[in-house]
Amino acid sequence: MKLGFRNKIYLGFFALLLLQGLVIFFWVSHAMEDSMLKEIKNREISIARILSARMVEPMLAMDFLRMKVLVDETVKLGDDISYTFVLDKNNNPLIHSFKHGFPTELINANKVSSKDKGSMQLLDTGSQLIYDYAIPVLINNNRLGTVRIGLFRTRAEKAVRKIMISVIITIIFAILIAGVVGSLLLNPVTQSIKKLHESSEQALKGNLDVRTAPTLKKNCWDIMLCNKKKCPAYRNYNHRCWYLAGTLCPTCVEGEYAKKIKSCQQCRVYKKCSGDEIQSLAESFDAMTLSLKGNLSDLKNVESVLNEQKSMLQMILDAIPDFISLQDNKGKYISANRAFCETLNKTRKEVIGKGNDDLFPRVNASIYNQEDKKVIETGIPLIKENKVEGKKGIRWMHVVKIPVAETGDEIKWLVCSGRDITRLKAVQDQLTHAQKMESVGRLAAGVAHEINTPLGIILGYAQLLMEDVCKDDQIYEDIETIVKQTKVCSRIVADLLKFSRSSTSIISDFDINEAITEVIGILEHTFSLNHVIIKHEYRKTPLLMKGDKEKIKQVFINLLNNAFDAIEENGSIFIKTEMGMTENEIKISIADTGPGISEANIKKIFEPFYTTKGPDKGTGLGLSVTFGIIKEHNGIIKAFSPPLSGENKENGTEFIVMLPTGLSVV
Amino acid sequence: MKYSWMVLLIILVLALFFSPGCKDNESIKKVNLKIRQQVILKEEPNVITYAYLPQYSHTTSYTRHHPLIQYLRKKTGLNIKQVFPDTFEQHMKMVGQGKIDISFSNPFIYIKIAHRYGAKAFARIVEVMGKNKFRGQIICRADNSSIKTISDCRNKRWIAVDSTSAGGYLYPLGYFIDHGIKKKDFKSITFAPGPGGKQEKVILSVYAGEYDIGTIREGALDVIADQIDVNQIRIIAMSDPYPGWVYAVRKNLNQKIVDKLKKALLSLDWNNENDRKILKTANFIKVISSNDAEFDSVRKLAKRLNINLDD
Repeated sequence: MKLGFRNKIYLGFFALLLLQGLVIFFWVSHAMEDSMLKEIKNREISIARILSARMVEPMLAMDFLRMKVLVDETVKLGDDISYTFVLDKNNNPLIHSFKHGFPTELINANKVSSKDKGSMQLLDTGSQLIYDYAIPVLINNNRLGTVRIGLFRTRAEKAVRKIMISVIITIIFAILIAGVVGSLLLNPVTQSIKKLHESSEQALKGNLDVRTAPTLKKNCWDIMLCNKKKCPAYRNYNHRCWYLAGTLCPTCVEGEYAKKIKSCQQCRVYKKCSGDEIQSLAESFDAMTLSLKGNLSDLKNVESVLNEQKSMLQMILDAIPDFISLQDNKGKYISANRAFCETLNKTRKEVIGKGNDDLFPRVNASIYNQEDKKVIETGIPLIKENKVEGKKGIRWMHVVKIPVAETGDEIKWLVCSGRDITRLKAVQDQLTHAQKMESVGRLAAGVAHEINTPLGIILGYAQLLMEDVCKDDQIYEDIETIVKQTKVCSRIVADLLKFSRSSTSIISDFDINEAITEVIGILEHTFSLNHVIIKHEYRKTPLLMKGDKEKIKQVFINLLNNAFDAIEENGSIFIKTEMGMTENEIKISIADTGPGISEANIKKIFEPFYTTKGPDKGTGLGLSVTFGIIKEHNGIIKAFSPPLSGENKENGTEFIVMLPTGLSVV
Repeated sequence: MKYSWMVLLIILVLALFFSPGCKDNESIKKVNLKIRQQVILKEEPNVITYAYLPQYSHTTSYTRHHPLIQYLRKKTGLNIKQVFPDTFEQHMKMVGQGKIDISFSNPFIYIKIAHRYGAKAFARIVEVMGKNKFRGQIICRADNSSIKTISDCRNKRWIAVDSTSAGGYLYPLGYFIDHGIKKKDFKSITFAPGPGGKQEKVILSVYAGEYDIGTIREGALDVIADQIDVNQIRIIAMSDPYPGWVYAVRKNLNQKIVDKLKKALLSLDWNNENDRKILKTANFIKVISSNDAEFDSVRKLAKRLNINLDD
């Protein structure tokens, strides 16, 4: 069992007092014994000397009565005198105080010569110790005899015993008094320490609302006659004002403890309320926990803000489709966003702490490691486009690796960001293709414009010649072929002119459903001859848009003709109109049940002069013109084979046209 | 820190055990008090007893006469031993009982023992002042203005040595009677209490003012000179001279012994250094031969004083 502070002090007190008491006990008892024995011996010597002197006359007179009286009187002087006797000069006993005969062994037990003043001898009678003192009876240096006195040593022992008892009682009293005084002095100290200990344990457990310091009889508001209720020290019984910041006392210096304590030490509140070191310790402990509590609260707030910001940052990073990762200068991944993990098809936990070797195929990892090393060593960011071949086909990635230095020039981290630019690449290809088509269109328009006039002259003169030639004549038939082929040429020229937007537009507001109905009315009969049925599903309310109605109708005629041509016989065409993603967009879908278009061909269908139809059946400009008109109306046309909707989703082709209700036609 | 308590404890314990004065080095002798016997005084054979009339304390008596006795023992080959009677009366009785063989007394005592017990004088001393006779002295305090002459002693308180003292009572009494002052003329007559040291007691009583006048033997003041200022004592008057102290032997003591003693005493020579020491100590200068007839003057004085020698 470990001793507490108070018990240690008590034990120390007790041990010290006991030791001191024992030392005193031994020293005093021995000193007193010595002194008592000396005193007894001196007394004995004095008595013997007096007796010796008084014994001279009776000895000379041989007055035994007087000698006997003297001897008996001497014995009666004290209880401690055992015996007295007188020897003559021949050592024969003359007189003695013994009642029943003289103990002869005493004669030679202690001898004294005439030259000596006396002789002391301790005698052991078996039951008691006796100091025997022998003194010669002299008269003018002539020896008459010897006086002997025996004193019990018990008196000294009794006296010493008395002293020992009183010393022991004194020691016990001293220990008791020390215990009482010690407990009076120690109690407040140990209580305070215990309280401090409990408070510190509470503080360790997280409870910072501890009250360790004692409450005072008079506080600062009593002493200063203050009534400022907003002051943090006002009615604060647990904290001293000099530990509190922001007190409103006119004598106070602004600021916290460190700033104001020097000024506070001069204040009468401090002089009256400050206690001893233990009280100050308790008060400062309370102030410390109070300050700690405030700081912890601030820290918690900051932590929650940080956590919030962290989660927001992570959320933003995760929301970004680009992949972002952070590596240390050893190449280990410290952080990664969702896109990065998804790219690798791994969880974040599987990524963090790993290197390129763990995450990528060996060939790629080797390349990435070299790149990372170079960036970290040189500090120059890396920007590149990666072609990645995976399960989803070829993908293009735009990758940026940026070195990050914390302080100084040493590169600590490497931030890597990558973006999937596969679609961008596709758009770039489309743009290139469009530019190519535009160039072709211009060329065609120029050629068409130049050819159109001579064609008109050829057609006019050919028709004039026909009038001049008999219908049965071979020449008439030849001229008719010329006229027919010239008309074909003229139609091609007209189509070329449409494709190159060389024709003018008549803008008006019209209902798409109405335009489609008109087109169906023209074509329906012809199609039905080949058992091709046109079905439609219009939006119930009119789908008004601003544009060139005739050109839009041409679009639908082209698309329906293409569908018819594709079906050839026995099929159906499904037309659906509806609003697009927004109210400003109209979506028109035309799906057929034809054989469909191969994936390789579907990319080329909008190119001019591309056709899958046989000779004389198509110019290869229909869809190009359609594409041109839609583009003219800021719309989009897309082809899907097999169709996304419609009756037959396995075969056929679906064209989806998206047109803005477009009150802003270029 | 862990052992500091232990070290402190060891030091203290060592200090306790090595502290001085702890050990009792006294040797102890074992005695058996149970072996006992009755004390019986064995009388020595052929002892010649010598007594000095106890006018002074036994110690003084011893001191004065011890060397002389040693001398006599040596000179005579006799086993001489000094005895110390407490009073004049005892002295006289012991002479009569044969307990004192050699008596050294004043002449007044001598005539009594001679009368009563047949003692015989055989020598007497010559005192330090060279006189073979001595006187009594009447003294008072030097500052006592009421006593200037012998006649002023009337109605005074008188302390005397002893009723049997020669120099200390009888000689001065004879002197008073010769001057017409009788015993009844004194306010009171007191004798110094015994035993021994009576001369000194008289002087001290007068010195203390307890009595107006005192009577002492000539030479007594010298004995007490080292105890009091003797200048404070005035001698009023001195009696007639009488024979001095006398050596007498008891009746029927062997004459050979008497002769031996007499011879030895008379042979003491002041000029001999050793003898002089003995004589000086005994307070006389020599011993001369004497006989009973030399003390008739004293007997006459006794008669004049109406003293019955048998009392």
